[in-house]
Amino acid sequence: MIQLRRLAADTVALWLVLAALIAFFSWRTPHFLTPATFSTLASQIPDAVALAVGMTLVLIAGGIDLSVGSVLALSSAALGVALTQWKLPLPIGSLVGLLIGCACGAVNGLVTIRWRLPAFIVTLAMMEAARGATYLATDSRTLYLGRSVQGLAEAKLQGVPLPFLLALALVGGAQFVLARMAFGRCLVAIGTNAEAARLSGLPVARVRLTVFALSGACAALAGLMQTSRLASVDPNMGAGAELAALAAAVIGGTSLSGGRGSVVSTFLGVLIIAVLGAGLAQIGAQEPTKRLVTAAVIVAAAVADHYRQRKGACR
Amino acid sequence: MTSHFRVLLLFASLAWLLAGCDRAPDVAATPSSDPPGTVTVAKEDQPRIALVMKSLANEFFQTMEDGAKAHQVKHADEYELIANGSKNETDVTRQVELVEQMIAQKVDALVIAPADSKALAPVCKQAVEAGLVMVNIDNRFDAATLKDQGVKLPFVGPDNRKGAAMVGSVLAGKLARGDEVAIIEGAPNAFNGIQRKLGFEDAMKAGGLKVVASQSGHWETDQANKVAAALLTAHPKLKGLLCANDNMALGAVAAVKAAGKHGKVWIVGFDHLTAVQELLRDGTILATADQHADQLAVYGIEYALEMLRTKATPADKETPVELISAPGRVH
Repeated sequence: MIQLRRLAADTVALWLVLAALIAFFSWRTPHFLTPATFSTLASQIPDAVALAVGMTLVLIAGGIDLSVGSVLALSSAALGVALTQWKLPLPIGSLVGLLIGCACGAVNGLVTIRWRLPAFIVTLAMMEAARGATYLATDSRTLYLGRSVQGLAEAKLQGVPLPFLLALALVGGAQFVLARMAFGRCLVAIGTNAEAARLSGLPVARVRLTVFALSGACAALAGLMQTSRLASVDPNMGAGAELAALAAAVIGGTSLSGGRGSVVSTFLGVLIIAVLGAGLAQIGAQEPTKRLVTAAVIVAAAVADHYRQRKGACR
Repeated sequence: MTSHFRVLLLFASLAWLLAGCDRAPDVAATPSSDPPGTVTVAKEDQPRIALVMKSLANEFFQTMEDGAKAHQVKHADEYELIANGSKNETDVTRQVELVEQMIAQKVDALVIAPADSKALAPVCKQAVEAGLVMVNIDNRFDAATLKDQGVKLPFVGPDNRKGAAMVGSVLAGKLARGDEVAIIEGAPNAFNGIQRKLGFEDAMKAGGLKVVASQSGHWETDQANKVAAALLTAHPKLKGLLCANDNMALGAVAAVKAAGKHGKVWIVGFDHLTAVQELLRDGTILATADQHADQLAVYGIEYALEMLRTKATPADKETPVELISAPGRVH
C-alpha cells in the first residue's frame, strides 16, 4: 500500500498534465471525450509502450538504445517473410521475429561490454544495420499480410484490446522487477555507479547484456503489435520511434545519465504523447502547430517533473 | 567469461545466422536486384548517365530503379548507368551530396527525382554549369526557384493532379452529394503531394462532396493510420478517405477496420503497390493510380540520350497515369 501511495505521489505531475490535455481537447472539439477516442488510443499505444518500457530499463542501467525503431522493423520483416515466403504458421513466425529482436539486442549488449564502447555508438550502428537488413528482407517493398495477422490486434477481453492488456502487463511486470527484484535493483546500482557495482560483486556484464536483449525483445513485441494492427510490413516502419520512446521516458522523469526512472511514469509519458497526437489531429491542427505544441508539452512535462522531484528531495 | 555469458554468445550468433538466412530467398527470388549504386562497366566512349532517386525503401523507387536497370541491360551498347537513391524520402542533404558526387564523376547526363522541389535547385544549377545534361523526373522542380537560379530543366513525368482527380472521381461516384470526406496528404514540402491534394479537391468539388479535413500522413503507413483514426472519431459522418499514396491507404484501411466502419467508409490511394492488389480486388480500396514507375526513369533516360545527341533542350513531356479500380463490384 505504501508502495502504491508513493507511486501515486511520484506521478502526480504527469497525471495533472494528462488531465489538463484531456480537458483542453474536450473543450475544443465535440467528439474528443467519447469512448471511440479512448478505444482508438488503447489500440494505438501498445507498441509505443513496449518500446518505451525497454528504453526505460536500458536508460536506468546507464545505457541508451537507439536501434529500437529499426529492430522493430527488422523483426516485423522477419515475421512477414516467414509468413509469406516460408509459409510458416503465425505462432512460429512471431517467435522468429521475437528471437531476431532479442538477438539484435544481445549483439548490442555484447559489443558494448566486450569492447567497452559507448552504447550510443553501438546502437547507432545497429540502427543502420537492422534498417539495411529490413530493406534486404522485404526487397524494399511493403508486404501486405492480410487478415491472418490481425487476430492479435482485434482480440478483445471484456471489450479491451488484447495488445493494450499485454502492454499494461508489461508495465506492471517491469515496474515490479525494477522496484522489488534483485535484477531491477542491480540496474539502478549499475546506472548510478557501474564501477562501485562491479566492486560490490554484482554481475554487471550479465545484467547489462540482459537489459539490452530485453530492449530488443520489447522492440520485436512492438513490431508484432504494429504489424498486426496495420496488417502489413512497411520497410520504413518504426523510423524515428526511438526518439518517441526516449521522449516518453524523459517526460516520465527517467534520467538520461542512468540510475533513476520508473516504468509507470514512462507509461504516463506515452499516454501524454498519444493523447496530444490524437487531440491535435481531431482539432485539425496544421503540421507546424502540431510540432510546436508537442515540443512545448514535452518541455512542460519535464519541467513539472523536475520541480516535483526537487520538492521531494528537500522534504 | 562466465558460462552464462557463453551460452548467450552462442544464442546470439545462432540468431544472427538466422537473421542472415531470411535474406537469401529474397535475393534469389529477384535476380535483377543488384546492390544500389552498381556501375555497369561498358566501353569508354559511351555516354554515362546518372540516375538520382528518392528513398529506395519505397517500392515505387525500387521499381523505378529496376526498370532503368532492365532498360540499360537491353541497351548496353548505348550508355552506362549509375543509379543511386537516398535513405528516406525527405533526405535532401543526401541527395545534394549524390548530385555533387555525380558532378565529380563527370557523368554526361543526370536524371533526377528531387526529394524537395526547391532545395535541390542550386546543386542542379552547379551540374548544368559543369556541363551535365539534366532531366527532371517524377517530382517537378518549383518553377519560380528554377527561374531564380537561372536554369531550365525539362520535366518528364506524370500529371499528379490529373491522376488524383481520376482516382477521386471514382470515390465521388460512390457517394452522394454533400457527403463528408477527408484527405490524408503526403509530405507537406513535396510538389507531387501538393498536386495530388489539389487533384482530390478538384474531384470533390466536381462531385459536390464536402472535404471536412486534410492532414499530412508523411507518406507513411503508421502515421496515416493514427491520423485516419483521429479523423474518423472527430468526424463520425465521414464517408471517404483520399490518401495521397498507397502506403497511407493501408494505414487508413486498418483504422477504418479498427473503428468498425468497414464497408461504411471508402478509401482511395495512389501508386498501385503490390501490397494493395488484394484490397483492390475485394473492394476495400476503391481505386488507385498507376504511374508506371518502371517506365518513368526510362523515359527520363531516353530523353537525356536524345538531348545528348541533338544538343537541344526539348519541351516537357507528360507520361501516362492509369486509373486502377475494381469496376462492377457490388458492395
